[in-house]
Order: sequence, then C-alpha cells, then structure tokens
Amino acid sequence: MKRFIILVGNYGSGKTEIAMNFALNASKTGKTLLIDLDMINTYFRLSDRRDLFEGTGVEMIAPHFANSGVEMLTVPAEIAKAFDMDWDTVIIDLGGDAGASALGQYHNKLELAQKNGAEIVLYNVVNTNRPMAGTPEKLLRLMESMERKARWKVTGFIHNTNMSYETTVEDLEAGYGIVKEASERSGVPVLYTAGKREVLDVFLGREHEARFVGEPFYLETYMHRDWDSLTKKGV
Amino acid sequence: MAKKLMKGSEAIAEAAIRNGCRFFFGYPITPQTEIPEYFSERMFEEDVNGCFLQAESEVSAINMVYGAATTGVRAMTSSSSPGISLKQEGISSLCAAELPCVIVNVMRGGPGIGSIQAGQGDYYQAVKGGGHGDYHLIVFAPSSVQEAIDCMGKAFDLADKYRTPAMICADGIIAQMMEPVELPEIRDYKVDPAKKPWAATGYDCKNPVGQRADVTSLYVETEELDVLHERLQGTYKVIEANEVQYEAYNMEKAEIVVTAFGTVARIAKSVIDELEGQGIHVGMLRPITLWPFPYEAVHKAATQPGVKAVLDVEMNAGQMLDDVKIAINGAQKIEFLGHCGSHLPTVEEIKAKILAMKEGM
Repeated sequence: MKRFIILVGNYGSGKTEIAMNFALNASKTGKTLLIDLDMINTYFRLSDRRDLFEGTGVEMIAPHFANSGVEMLTVPAEIAKAFDMDWDTVIIDLGGDAGASALGQYHNKLELAQKNGAEIVLYNVVNTNRPMAGTPEKLLRLMESMERKARWKVTGFIHNTNMSYETTVEDLEAGYGIVKEASERSGVPVLYTAGKREVLDVFLGREHEARFVGEPFYLETYMHRDWDSLTKKGV
Repeated sequence: MAKKLMKGSEAIAEAAIRNGCRFFFGYPITPQTEIPEYFSERMFEEDVNGCFLQAESEVSAINMVYGAATTGVRAMTSSSSPGISLKQEGISSLCAAELPCVIVNVMRGGPGIGSIQAGQGDYYQAVKGGGHGDYHLIVFAPSSVQEAIDCMGKAFDLADKYRTPAMICADGIIAQMMEPVELPEIRDYKVDPAKKPWAATGYDCKNPVGQRADVTSLYVETEELDVLHERLQGTYKVIEANEVQYEAYNMEKAEIVVTAFGTVARIAKSVIDELEGQGIHVGMLRPITLWPFPYEAVHKAATQPGVKAVLDVEMNAGQMLDDVKIAINGAQKIEFLGHCGSHLPTVEEIKAKILAMKEGM
C-alpha cells in the first residue's frame, strides 16, 4: 500500500532532517520517493544532500533552480509521478510556516489517492527552541495556519525540540511540556519524539505520560548545520 | 538567559528589538527577507508594540528611516547588496543630517544582481562611501550569529552616541545559518530630550520651550557646509580613536598572520586551529569594525617578532587588502587569497596557501 508522509512545521523545526531519516528507513523495505517541496527558502535544503541518496534506492525530486545562485524556485511537473506511479513510500518535505501552501494544489490528487487506499499522514514537526514556536499558543496558531494553507489536517506531532549541536535532554524536557499542552488543547496526538540516540534514551528513561511521547524516533544527522561540518563539507 | 536556536536574520531582528528599535522599514530581497518577515510578526506582539512597514522600494525604506530618526527613535532598515546600492543617496543624507540609525547589509554576490549566495564584495561600498560626499559609517562585520546579535546593540548605541548611521555587514551565511544564541534582555528605549536635543519630538507654539528642531542636509552657504564638515570630521576622529574593534587570535607564536573578516575569518579560524595541532603557528587579526579600521592593531600584528608574512583572505578581489596594506605600510610581506562573487574560500585552499607560504620561508 502506498504511504504518503508529509512534513510541515515551523522554520528550523527539523523537517528536512526528519524527511531524510524517514526516506533512508523506508528505502530499506520499499520503493521510496523523496520530494523537496520547500518553496520558501533556497538555503539548507534537502537537495543539498542529494549525494547521500546515491545507491540507496531513494529517488529525489527537487524544485527547479534549487541550490543555484538565483531565487526562482518552481514546482517541477515531475511531482505528478508521486501520484501516478507505484511507490511504497512518498515523503514530501515542505518549507517552514507558510511553506505548507505548496501542498494545497495537490489536494484533489491526495484525496483520490486516499480513496484508492493510500495512507496519508501529515506530521507537524515541532522545535520549541525556535523563537516563533516557544509556547502552546504559538504552536497552535501556527498549526491552524499551516493546515489551512496545506488544505489538509495534521495527523500528529513529531516532537523534535533541539538546540542543533548543543542539544541536551533538558531541551526535550522543556519541549515536552509545551507540546503536551498543545496536544491536550488541540486533540492532535503526539506520534513521535525525535532526537539523537544519546539524548533520546535519557529522556525516555525518565517519567513521562506515554501518550505525549509517542514512538521514539532515533535520528541520524545528515544536514550540516554546525560550523565545522559546514565549512568542511561545503555550504 | 536560556539559549534559543536562531537563524542569523531572526537574531538580528530580535537583537534590534531588544536594544530598543521599534521602527523597521524595509523591502524584501534574498538572502535577508527573513529580517523583515520576522519584524512583520514580532513588532506587533504585545511586549514590543512597534512599527513594521514594508516600503514600496529600498529608496522609500531608507527615507522612512530618515523620517523616523529625526524624532530621535531607534530605527533601522535592512537589505542585501543590490538593495543597499539603492539606499545610498538616503545613507549620504542621513550622514549629512547627523541622524543615528542602523542599516543591515546581508551581503550577497555582486556586482549587479549577482547571486543570492554569500558575498563580501561590498567592503568598498560600506567603508569608502557608497554614497556621495565626505562621510563615514560605523561598520561592523560579525563572523557568527552570536556576534551579529552583539554588534546590533553596539551599532544602536554608537549611532546614538555619535549621531551617525551605523551599518552591519553580515553575509548570506550568517543570515541563513542557525546557531544556539543568547539574547540580551529586552530594553524599552525612550527618547531622552536632554541627550537628543536635536530630535523633533513636537513643538508647542503657544508654550514654546527650547528650540524648534531643524534637521537638514541642505546647506545653502559654503561656510555653513564647512561648519558641518568640521563637525563631522571631528566626530570621525573621535570614533577612530575610541571605537576600533578587532579580534587577535592565536597570535602568541604566530609566524604567519591571516587578516580576514566576517564568515571568511571564521573559515580561516578553522584552518588555524587545524594547523596549530600540527605545530604550525598561524595567527589572525580580524577587524570587527571595518570602519574605523584597526590600522594600528594590524600593523602591530604584522610586525610582531617572529611573524614572517601576512595572508589576507577575502571573498572579493582584495578590497580590505587595501587597508591592510595601508596599515602595514611596506613593513611586512603580504599575500592574498580570494574569490569574487559568492565563491567561498575553502578550508583546504587556505591551508594549502599557508603551507606553500611556509615552504617558501
């Protein structure tokens, strides 16, 4: 059965990192299509790491002019094959905040795919360390706006509070409280809590309400956001 | 204060707000559009209650800053290289009218429309005057997101102190990368009429107190313009004497001294750390203020006992190199490594260049 995993979230929530993790995991068991549909920002994007997917079986589609010297991102027609061809998993990485609107145009196709038995999940990736996502109110306001733009309801939260390369378990702890409240108020479940193994295991070892933790999502870091790997591996 | 994970653009905007800036006027351009975007939301939050206005062009935006600054408030604009070119007439006028404000240039590849990737080609424009007339801007070149935050505070304070515009020359990398940062406490800036007697804060004709504010950049008589110039040049001398900022890094046993600014300096720092581990001693003199330029510090570093050569690294054809040469004044051998446009010098090539220089010593 075809499964669409679509990622929305605030800027800097870690959507791209999570999309890559989903893609590499999915490619072990089936045909995987990864779509970079970030029409908002041309920097630090999925297609920066195209090289990682060579030989993994993951096929990638990116907007025209991504990773170039111009700001002219356009949606490639190739995206049609996400709906028309046979895939086990299709992962769509949208831009932050208003970037959710790039999904809106596929509403009818997604509905049709769902009617034909495809599972469609829209995850809201959350990092409460980001300035515009630091309270339950902000998270809920943003989620409402992203749902409207994406023309699709959020299936659940992926809690991914992090401080980039300085993440500690306390970041996840602080985020847990905020995401819990956002989940309680909206009724949107927390489906995953994500983090690097060393941080996530400590967090999971502590007392939490399981329904606000969801499944553990052990993350590998593929995007080079810290200065040293940025300069070594290129921008 | 707890750290936040912030993109350079957002951090610059938030730092401005926390340093009392309540007026932002701008126009979108990559790679700094996140600055106006952030202000467009944040200025309307309860604890800020400021003004964000998207002007119809960069020219309008800088003139709106002029208008706001005449009232003594902390005002700013931001843009990227081609947009900063458009603002030059306004910048010249702000200097002539002695109006404090902050202008952020997130430099991209030029000339012309160039490229949206990071650049350093606006050094001349920023420090040698992109607009007309004899003037200077206080110019900061941060090399990390945290330093961009710190520079915003200094820029607003020095702009007020000297009644002059200040500029932040960041680049596309600083504006777009995210780093864990610490922000200063929020500060509610009030115009103090004792400190800004020139500010147009309202004049009651029926109960006149003090002078009418008269802010202008037009001087009809040559003598009057001379008075302005004397005052401006006097201010610039004081700034040059007191506000130079730089970082001297790993200078103790240095045999080669790198001069670089902004993100390129940060790349050079990675090289220096790596070489130090191999027993090769390279130091760095990094101007934080591009104007006033640290002439004395560069000269001192270049002629320090043990130093045999200077390597200037930039992402341009060697614009700061001119000032490095003036500073060193023939007292040391200087080599240059750089690329134009948005072509970033890499760790590998800076290392190779240093090793080649070392070989020839």
